[in-house]
Amino acid sequence: MKRPLRSSFVIAILSTFTLSAHAIDGPTITISGFGTAALTMTDTDLAEFIRPNQSNGAGKSPRTGVDSNLGLQATAKFSDRISFTAQGLVRKVAKDSYGAELAWAFAKFKASDEIDIRIGRIGLPVYMISDFRNVGYANTMIRPPAEVYRQVNGGTLEGIDLIWQHSFGDTTVTSQFAYGNAKTRSPGNSSVEFKPATAIHIIAEHEPFTFRFGRADAKFSVYGNAPLNGLLTTLNNVGLSTVAKDLKVVDCDGSFTSVGMTMDYKGFLIQSEYAVRKTDTRVVMDTTSYYAMLGYRIGKFTPYYYYGNIKQDTPRTYAGLPTTGPLAALTAGVNSVVKSALQSTNAVGVRWDFHKSAALKVQVDHISPRDGAGAFVNVKPGFSGPVNVYAAGIDFVF
Amino acid sequence: MKTKIGMMLLAAGLGMAAPVMAAELVVIVNPKNPASRMFSEQAAQFFLGKSSLFTPIEYDDGVAIRNEFHAKVLQKDSAQVKTIWSKLVFTGKGTAPKEYKSAAEVKKAVAADVSAIGYIDKAAVDDTVKVILTVQ
Repeated sequence: MKRPLRSSFVIAILSTFTLSAHAIDGPTITISGFGTAALTMTDTDLAEFIRPNQSNGAGKSPRTGVDSNLGLQATAKFSDRISFTAQGLVRKVAKDSYGAELAWAFAKFKASDEIDIRIGRIGLPVYMISDFRNVGYANTMIRPPAEVYRQVNGGTLEGIDLIWQHSFGDTTVTSQFAYGNAKTRSPGNSSVEFKPATAIHIIAEHEPFTFRFGRADAKFSVYGNAPLNGLLTTLNNVGLSTVAKDLKVVDCDGSFTSVGMTMDYKGFLIQSEYAVRKTDTRVVMDTTSYYAMLGYRIGKFTPYYYYGNIKQDTPRTYAGLPTTGPLAALTAGVNSVVKSALQSTNAVGVRWDFHKSAALKVQVDHISPRDGAGAFVNVKPGFSGPVNVYAAGIDFVF
Repeated sequence: MKTKIGMMLLAAGLGMAAPVMAAELVVIVNPKNPASRMFSEQAAQFFLGKSSLFTPIEYDDGVAIRNEFHAKVLQKDSAQVKTIWSKLVFTGKGTAPKEYKSAAEVKKAVAADVSAIGYIDKAAVDDTVKVILTVQ
């Protein structure tokens, strides 16, 4: 997982930085990586199963693109206090081809034994496992439950955070406060920008429990969503500007509040999150979502089960618009963008730690969409759930 | 691919078959470190990334004493420990411990860093390091 090496090349480049801190030694460079090689398939060809923010997914024929990824991380440690970390991630997101992203690139300053300050491109800690959701090896399940993990797209923040870790007796509390801007590309050449976003992420660990509270707030805008922009233009043209205002996509206020917990006691595993999303635009609906996973570790095998669900808290139709006459089609258009993707999932799987740095996972999801196609994409006429999703993958770290 | 998985399985099998030694384990720090005694739970937090007050020094994967220390002091198996560190490392929040092959190298690393904490077989103790915990 870890390979410290002294690089004279890097020393040469960075010598100006290191002179004051480590005149003789130069930085220690650590390269590490993670990845998942997986195949995913479903029992229908009438819709495609995706991870959040993917444009294309899996149908009846197995595909690698849904659950596979590869990450590489380099950390240069200049002194006991200052380090620089960059992580590249290759996966399919927004487009139907593998693309490389700079997941993070930040300078970390260790202000004290308990306080770290990071500046640059950092993870946006929206969820309990935000920062390591792409690291399959670090997780029991093959992928984060979509019911919760598709509520906020946006994994990285350009900004600053402060992490304070302190032990109160047997309880270790890690508090993270982040501030910055974020931009996430979405399918169809659109993007979502958070400008600015703030996040609070507090974790209390008391063996065998972990409790987590998270709150993220953002001023957000959706750019380049042609169908949505067309709808808003039409609404304004026909004099329904109040409706257009309710469906605004620029300078919206949003918040995401979540609690979570994990337990790892005598082989019994629990992982659960409950999250509430609120915004002031009807196109990003208010939702409540949750999941709970139960697992049991027997030697190198960990069978697990999870249930996830999402509810919409705002109405699924826009009241007071004509349902007959010339504007009926427009009303249908409005109603189609105020419905969030509702579904529930029952899944079973097993993780097998067959190697010291690799695990094999097999997972079957039984997904039941409600009042629509759920989180499935590229839906064809005649589609209806429930859908079974089969996935097998090997997670590794090095 | 098949042979690779086969080799991985073989390696995993060999790992499991490695004999667990029943020798006494001691947790060591730099002689200049003011700490004089420590409980297992306190030592464990450094090796699980819960505190960065001390810098943990580890053994390479597969060294027998590593599995024994993980089981007795951290009360986890090595895959669990690896999972915990992979969370810390790939979130950029922590740096995995440096890993060494032998007790001699661990002693050298501990002797070179005032904040280091490591563990060795009791028989390997000498005056370059200070024992702060003996694990039965």
